[in-house]
Amino acid sequence: MNSLRMALDSITEKKGRSFLTMLGIIIGVTAVLVLVAMVTGYNSDMTAYYEKLGVNKVTVKMTWYDTSRAQDMMAQLYDYGNVELSDLVEGVSPDLSTRLPLQYGNVTVDSSTIYLGSDQFSICSNYTLDKGRDILPLDIENRSMVCVLGSYLADTLFPYSDPIGKTVTIGGNPFTVVGTYYQKDGGTDGSMDDGAVIPYSLNRKVLISDWIDSIILKVKTSKDMDTVMDRVELWLAEAVDSAVGECEVENGNSAMTESNDEMTSLSVVLGGIASIALLVGGIGIMNIMLVTVTERTREIGIKKSIGAPRREIIGQFLLEAGILSSLGGLVGIGLGFALSAVLGKVMYDIIVFPSTLISVGAFAFSLVIGVVFGIYPAVKASNLQPVDALRAD
Amino acid sequence: MSLIEIKDVYKIYNEGRESQVNALDGVSLTIDQGEFVAIIGTSGSGKSTMMNILGCLDIPTRGTYLLDGEPVAEKTSRELELLRSRRISFIFQGYNLIPSLKVWENVALPMTYQHIPYSERKRRAMEALEAVDILAKAEAKPGQLSGGQQQRVAIARAMATRSPVLMADEPTGALDSRTGAQVLALMRQLNAQGTTVILITHDNGIAAQADRTVRVMDGHIVHDSLWDGVLVPEEASLGVRAS
Repeated sequence: MNSLRMALDSITEKKGRSFLTMLGIIIGVTAVLVLVAMVTGYNSDMTAYYEKLGVNKVTVKMTWYDTSRAQDMMAQLYDYGNVELSDLVEGVSPDLSTRLPLQYGNVTVDSSTIYLGSDQFSICSNYTLDKGRDILPLDIENRSMVCVLGSYLADTLFPYSDPIGKTVTIGGNPFTVVGTYYQKDGGTDGSMDDGAVIPYSLNRKVLISDWIDSIILKVKTSKDMDTVMDRVELWLAEAVDSAVGECEVENGNSAMTESNDEMTSLSVVLGGIASIALLVGGIGIMNIMLVTVTERTREIGIKKSIGAPRREIIGQFLLEAGILSSLGGLVGIGLGFALSAVLGKVMYDIIVFPSTLISVGAFAFSLVIGVVFGIYPAVKASNLQPVDALRAD
Repeated sequence: MSLIEIKDVYKIYNEGRESQVNALDGVSLTIDQGEFVAIIGTSGSGKSTMMNILGCLDIPTRGTYLLDGEPVAEKTSRELELLRSRRISFIFQGYNLIPSLKVWENVALPMTYQHIPYSERKRRAMEALEAVDILAKAEAKPGQLSGGQQQRVAIARAMATRSPVLMADEPTGALDSRTGAQVLALMRQLNAQGTTVILITHDNGIAAQADRTVRVMDGHIVHDSLWDGVLVPEEASLGVRAS
């Protein structure tokens, strides 16, 4: 009990010095927490982005020597996905788009992306129908001149009226608006809401080509991705004659997985660099504890002369080092949380907090560092000969 | 069996170099239980070195030291800690109180190392403070006390441990003669209760208060009043004639 109070007394007696001693640990812990939290923030930002694009997509990339095969292939794969793989796959649509100006009345939008999709385009690309109807299988079959507008286009072209049934001009061709999608990407120009989907069978008319270079199969759950890829590959091996074309199957999640992996290693590297600051903080503690031992040599001598055991002297200095470093750790955690919240809001517009694991880990690490770097000064103090210690001023 | 017995003890600094100093140069001394001994000498005579060795604060370069008949050199550092904790207490010229602790906590501190429970420690500390007539300052910090008061606290600290040997290094050195006399009276009182007191001083007047005086010069014992006119060892007799 005496030791604890003596340690606290000695820390509070020299507040300025104690604070400077803790500063290294404070900066170290704050740095670890903020850096890791920022990477986490960036990561969830990226994940959100990938989720908007739509996750769990198997992409079939096709190279045709005769482009007219593309339409047939699309139809066959659509059937395969919706019949044979209906338990695993929720939608099949071409991954095909172009940029064309959209016009209604005297308003023209140049920034829009025109998607050429199947009736399952919205499922594949994560759009949700707001008003009217979506593209129907019949629209594909009949090459109907219909379109569904993203929320930005609907709001921009029809600020005061209902777009359903109106005719817009896309790349010079008239299209009837049959539906609109809910906003899903901020609703600004150039975003995914600045787009419209038309039946893919119109590619010959709109793109002046039969070209479809990839087809997306939207898989229900991520654990089925591999099964779907295997089965599609087998199916393709039979369906495609290598003399007329080649097909390749890709995992659409791999970009996200890769980015996640990169972020994990980035946070390990950044956390590691920040831990060096912690280590340097520990050396600072060792330094100041050595000074304290020198300053209190006489006190150590007194204690030894009245029979203080070695472990008592060691304990006193270890306790002081431990208190300094864990106090620094706590302040660092507080600062880390505050700074993460502010930076997260500024950089990603979300409040990110460091994870509990990282916080507890950083605290434990700072405590361990304090104790480890306190050992040398403490042992040095306990090894003083009483007579030498008493002689000190 | 004597309480303290040192035989042919040397304490040599910088041995073998030009700057070699023999602080103790082959000293033998025996002290029995209950004695009040003054070790007297000028500064540099080796008297403080002698106390440090007798108090197990320092180790001799050569020679044997038997405390309670047991060789101190063979004791482990843990056993020495226990010795300092239970057998010997000290009073220093500089009081040596811990400034961050209250007066009574200073008195109670050695008892902490003897694992005496808190209430008992406090009771004995207060008792000792009362005995040296400074109970009123029990809750003060040492820095708020005068030199004489601090030395009385140091005596209380030595008393409270109830160790059988008290060693005092110039206990009155920093005090005026009146407070010095009070401190000496307290030590006499302790001796009367059975404590062996070893007093280190340069002052003949203070040494005269002891039952036995041992004069040290240049690392030798040159006179021991115990043997005066009774049995004079060779070295001591040489010293007496020299002085």
